[in-house]
Amino acid sequence: MSKGNYNAFEHAQAQFDKVAEIIGLDAATRELLRQPIREYHFAIPVKMDDGTVKVFRGYRMQHNDARGPAKGGIRFHPLETVDTIRALSMWMTWKCAVVDIPLGGGKGGVICDPHNLSDREQEQVCRGFVRQLSTNIGPNRDVPAPDVMTSGKHMLWMMDEYEALTGARYPGVITGKPVGMGGSLGRTEATGYGVIYVLREALVQLGIDITKTTAAFQGFGNVSQYAAQLYQKLGGTIQAVSCWDNTDQTSYTFRKAAGLDVDFLFSITDSFGSLDKEKAKANGIEILPGEAWLEQEVDILVPAALENQITADNVGKIKDSVKVIIEGANGPTAPEADKVLNERGVFVIPDFLANAGGVTCSYFEQVQCNMNYFWEKDEVMEKLDTKMTSAFLAVYELSVNKKLTMRDSAYVISINRVAQAVKSRGWV
Amino acid sequence: MADDFFRDETVLENLREREKELNCLYKIDEILSNHQLSPAETFEAVVRIMPSGWRFPDLCRVKLIFNGVSYQTTGFVSSPISELCDIRVGSKAVGNIEVVYTQVVPISKEGYFLEKESKLIHTIAERIGQTAVYRQMRSVMDAWELSRPQSEFSSGQSEWEVIVNFLLITDQKVLLRICRKLINHLLLNGITEASEILSESKPFSAGQGEHVNFPTTKEPLEDVPAICEKTFTFARKHLSGEEITLNVKNWIQEERAYSLIKAINSVPPSLRNIIEQIKRYRKIVPDEEQRYSPQERWISVSLINLILSGGPEFVNVAKQYISHRDFFDIVDRIIIPIHSQGTLGGKGSGLFLAQKILEKESANYPILKSVRVPKTWYVVTDAITEFLQYNNLEELNEQKYKELQESRIEYPGIIQLIKNSVMPPEIVKSLSVVLDDIGEVPIIVRSSSKLEDHSGSTFSGKYKSLFLSNRGSKQKRLEALQDAVLEVYASVFSPDPIQYRMERGLLDVHEEMGILIQEVVGNVVGRYFFPLFAGVAFSNNEYRWSPRIRREDGLIRMTAGLGTRAVDRLSDDFSILISPGQPGIRVNVVPEEIRRYAPRKIDLINLETDELETADLREVLRECGEQIPEVEKMVSLYERDNLLNKSRFDINFSRDDLVVTFEGIISGTETVRQIATILQVLSEKTGMPVDIEFASDGKNLFLLQSRPQSFSEENAPAPIPRDIPEKDILFSANKYVGNGVIENISHIVYVDPDGYNRIGNLDDLKAIGKAVGRLNAKLPKRQFALIGPGRWGSRGDIRLGVNVTYADICNTSILIEVARSRTGYMPELSFGTHFFQDLVEAGIFYLPLYPDEGNIFNEAFFTKSENKLPALLPEFKHLEDVVRVISVPETTFGRVMSILMNAELEEAVGVLSSEVAERRPARRKPRYDEQIRDESAWRWRYHMAERMASLLDAAQYGVKAVYMIGSTKNGTAGPSSDIDLLIHFEGTESQKADLKRWLDGWSQALSEVNYLKTGYSVDGILDVHFLTDEDIGSKDSFAIRIESPTDPAYRLKLLGE
Repeated sequence: MSKGNYNAFEHAQAQFDKVAEIIGLDAATRELLRQPIREYHFAIPVKMDDGTVKVFRGYRMQHNDARGPAKGGIRFHPLETVDTIRALSMWMTWKCAVVDIPLGGGKGGVICDPHNLSDREQEQVCRGFVRQLSTNIGPNRDVPAPDVMTSGKHMLWMMDEYEALTGARYPGVITGKPVGMGGSLGRTEATGYGVIYVLREALVQLGIDITKTTAAFQGFGNVSQYAAQLYQKLGGTIQAVSCWDNTDQTSYTFRKAAGLDVDFLFSITDSFGSLDKEKAKANGIEILPGEAWLEQEVDILVPAALENQITADNVGKIKDSVKVIIEGANGPTAPEADKVLNERGVFVIPDFLANAGGVTCSYFEQVQCNMNYFWEKDEVMEKLDTKMTSAFLAVYELSVNKKLTMRDSAYVISINRVAQAVKSRGWV
Repeated sequence: MADDFFRDETVLENLREREKELNCLYKIDEILSNHQLSPAETFEAVVRIMPSGWRFPDLCRVKLIFNGVSYQTTGFVSSPISELCDIRVGSKAVGNIEVVYTQVVPISKEGYFLEKESKLIHTIAERIGQTAVYRQMRSVMDAWELSRPQSEFSSGQSEWEVIVNFLLITDQKVLLRICRKLINHLLLNGITEASEILSESKPFSAGQGEHVNFPTTKEPLEDVPAICEKTFTFARKHLSGEEITLNVKNWIQEERAYSLIKAINSVPPSLRNIIEQIKRYRKIVPDEEQRYSPQERWISVSLINLILSGGPEFVNVAKQYISHRDFFDIVDRIIIPIHSQGTLGGKGSGLFLAQKILEKESANYPILKSVRVPKTWYVVTDAITEFLQYNNLEELNEQKYKELQESRIEYPGIIQLIKNSVMPPEIVKSLSVVLDDIGEVPIIVRSSSKLEDHSGSTFSGKYKSLFLSNRGSKQKRLEALQDAVLEVYASVFSPDPIQYRMERGLLDVHEEMGILIQEVVGNVVGRYFFPLFAGVAFSNNEYRWSPRIRREDGLIRMTAGLGTRAVDRLSDDFSILISPGQPGIRVNVVPEEIRRYAPRKIDLINLETDELETADLREVLRECGEQIPEVEKMVSLYERDNLLNKSRFDINFSRDDLVVTFEGIISGTETVRQIATILQVLSEKTGMPVDIEFASDGKNLFLLQSRPQSFSEENAPAPIPRDIPEKDILFSANKYVGNGVIENISHIVYVDPDGYNRIGNLDDLKAIGKAVGRLNAKLPKRQFALIGPGRWGSRGDIRLGVNVTYADICNTSILIEVARSRTGYMPELSFGTHFFQDLVEAGIFYLPLYPDEGNIFNEAFFTKSENKLPALLPEFKHLEDVVRVISVPETTFGRVMSILMNAELEEAVGVLSSEVAERRPARRKPRYDEQIRDESAWRWRYHMAERMASLLDAAQYGVKAVYMIGSTKNGTAGPSSDIDLLIHFEGTESQKADLKRWLDGWSQALSEVNYLKTGYSVDGILDVHFLTDEDIGSKDSFAIRIESPTDPAYRLKLLGE
């Protein structure tokens, strides 16, 4: 066990340093990209319901905006720390760069627990946040979005305050808004569909016919539900889906060799994302232990639930039939397991490429807001497909040409794009 | 009489006659009670109607003479066939009624007039007399009221004289009592000469001059006019005319209550008579409340005592809010057997009092004006006694003194016995009237027993409450209602409430079961009936989810449909929680979290099957969401990351993802403020925290029940002894403390704040959460405590607290968060918010500790005691500096930890207590998955396990050894526990099958015995794990128990060993 506090920012910097080394980045660029380019620290006084005044700490970090306006969420968390926000803002820069959308990275937060605040007080926190930052954010500067413990309603308060201060309508100042109030259609499906667009291209490159493939999904939540839906639509056979059972407080794998029907699964899902075991059994579905999804004789594994699911301990249980693992969740594969999979020649598509459909859709929301013209859902999906496909192909090509893993290739491509931008601008 | 009935030519004929008479009497009553009519109009109407009550209405004529004026039906002539009856006012005849037949009619064997007809004419005459008295008194009063302005200038004498003269004619008894009161009044005013009248007038002189210990002589009544003359002459000398008038007026007013007072004072009091007298009395009292009168106060308090409850605490509060007038409304809705001395029972009385308090306080709190109480009928408590007598079932009363085991066996039979018995016809008739009054709307039949709902013994959930759809033919509805009442009656003999009474020392107190029949609040929605929302609310919030919520801010648990789901904790669903004092501070704030913890099921009455059922809320919304009134106030629309409150025009019920949030109710209506005000007013006025049930049909809020907030057994404030030696205290707390006692904590999982803070890499931080999850599965359920730094369940920055999900902690008894300022920052604790509702439903306690704020925190105990982690989870040995598992008994020579929490004192302590046996008597309500730690439960299991092993032929079944593990071995087994056995097996498959059969027989038999002893039904009590040599070699999860350092298995002796 190493000594000293775990620090997310140091961790992110170390990761960056590793890739910078591979690319051979110069010292000045490294120095610039190792830290946020701008940081705002401020106080938000709020008059509470009981008449007292409480002062909250707010932060906004813009890690880098060389490729376009900064983009990233605003978190409300009682134990928020500056370093966490710094780390997350850096992560956003890479994430936007890998899918090649013209945005930089940012993150913000307020130290508060909404569980202890009434709606009115939360509204005051939101408006106070924007008042402190109004000249430093904007549709062409920095575009916040919902994050931990914030949602569309907070975004609308913030948008409204921004518009009140600037005296005009700027729906593009913020994303994550409800449809009809500047939100984009297709947001619900975006991440899950994005995963499968990438998968489809990968299979094409690997020369595998998707209609002849079988897959096992971990999780049946926001990402997995729609990923499975599109995968089935493209002709793939879903052999297993694992999901959390809230009653038993454990997870189960639902398996049907002939293939599970996504629409049926939707019909037996409750608001927890738990599937009804009895109804499943009646449908001829086997119920297996939670980990069994990983041990299936399938071509594709889609871990789309939690981080750290494929570990050194269980990586050996993955069958030889598995050719592709696509990371729908954040960080589902532990580094040691990643190494083993690489040695075995399994094609692993890294999380921040595979699940970038969400951020891409936020970008689309921003674009639609700025031109005040909103697309139909089909159009959103079509553009998402195009974006994800070309992002994948770029990473894939680099990995082949430079003999890199897909993960390393994705990092290299994104960091390189940002580095190029700061240089082109003559910043370094 | 019965013989006559059948001997007459036709039964039908007789019935028709009876019906005619009753109709006639009913119509006449109606006329007499109509104060709008003049006397002439009244009497004309009476003579017009009367013939309809006789056998031959066409030939029947009536003449009525009153005070010399005659009224008659057209065509009245004197006839030899006639019957005459005097009309008397008081004792004086003031007129008569004559009924004649104008020509000869067929004679019956009773004569020309039937016996019934003679009775009828007498009854009518009597009623006219009574009405005359009341009306005249009333007119005197009215005249007095009118003349009052002038009376200040005039002498006023004429007024009282008018009254006295009138009484002299009409009712001398009343006059005599007024004279007596006048004399007493004079004496009280120091006019001692008044006693002369007493000595002169015999009726008052009783006892005068005689020896106190000698019986008084009874003397004949004297001439009332003479006494009156003397008394008033005397009074005129000493009192002003106004004073006499005023007093006489008050006394007359009091006289009206005379028969009511007689009824109340009769021994034994007959409830039925009292109710009759109230009905009569309410016709004659003035509409407005009069000023204070001792008599009225006495009547009010007596009625509270007799009809509601005699408990001094209840009466003290009730008398401030309930006057005798308040009974006027309910007397028509009380069902009483003939000789009843019963009351409305606990629930009925509590609700009635609450209703009256809210009515009166609505003057101060206008928000209460729209709060309703559903239409309620009451069956008094002793109707059950009458029922038992009627069916010769008195022997059931002994049931409570039988062995619980015996009464449990007999109970199913008793239910059938009672359900197959007959209700006394009189009660059946009353129930039929109830159904006519209520109509075809669903009703609930609730228990309202004498012992129920008094502070400290709420019997919650012990007696039955039954919903009836109440639809279909009258016959069917009546049968269903009777059946329900009988079922509630049967629950008096159920072993569970008997056990409950036993534990509270109430067994010997006579229990009687009243019944409330209430209209169910709600709407017909498609094929269902249910309220928009319903729930329970408490004055004290024992589940605070934010430090900003104070205990007195209260708690509301709200759910869609019938409130049955909000009353109990649910294992598989959630209610919406609101703190009415701080409605803005919500348990769940993120849309995803709100959706996750939203109610998913609904209890409703299915009008097609006539049953109460639990349905999937989403399906109900899909099927008939459109038809639910105000549905947009109940649901929000879930769009990823957003919860939107839409108008019903924007909701597509068949497609949209709807979440029940009640956001529209909470922020768009005054419901929460109404409930907060109800709680505040009721607890303020009754002087104790209350617990109410409510429901709403979308238009009005209905109060369904009110009772003192008792502490559920596990949430009672724990007494904290002041003399605990400091060395026995492991920690103390003084902030945000709830109520409760947790005993027998055998293990503590302590995540060291300093150690946790020192961890340098993310994987190790995550591993801590995993280790906790593994310990959760391994340690004895609900017998260990989790103590850790900062926020349990941190998801984002997990340095701030251990990264666990609810599944990783679901077996703990308490979740403790430690806020240490010395680790660099003072963490804001989570209050369990990450899984707050899970904790509430599972009954897991939460406690925050602030060791640096002057509290005791025995850090050395937590950090220096032997750490069992490496032995339990060798794979997590590298975390032993941070995660410490302490076996309390092993570290403290057999002691265990108890945690005592007292919200009233805002104090909690974790103490070492010496023995399991030192516990308070087992009083805790069993949880769904938890047991009462009852000494006998484990001893019995232990004995049976040993006994069974001693009969097991090891060779025959291929058994090498049998071990006992778990709660039975540890002496902590409760009535729902298994007996866990490990069998070291080395036989063949067929031996194994035989052995399984043999064990299965034992298992079934033992679980049956367990059921009889405790009422817990367990499907097979033995939990057997087979182990082979190989398992033992590879140390599988059970095999390691055999020589485990923490909780080693105990080897049982087999046959022949």
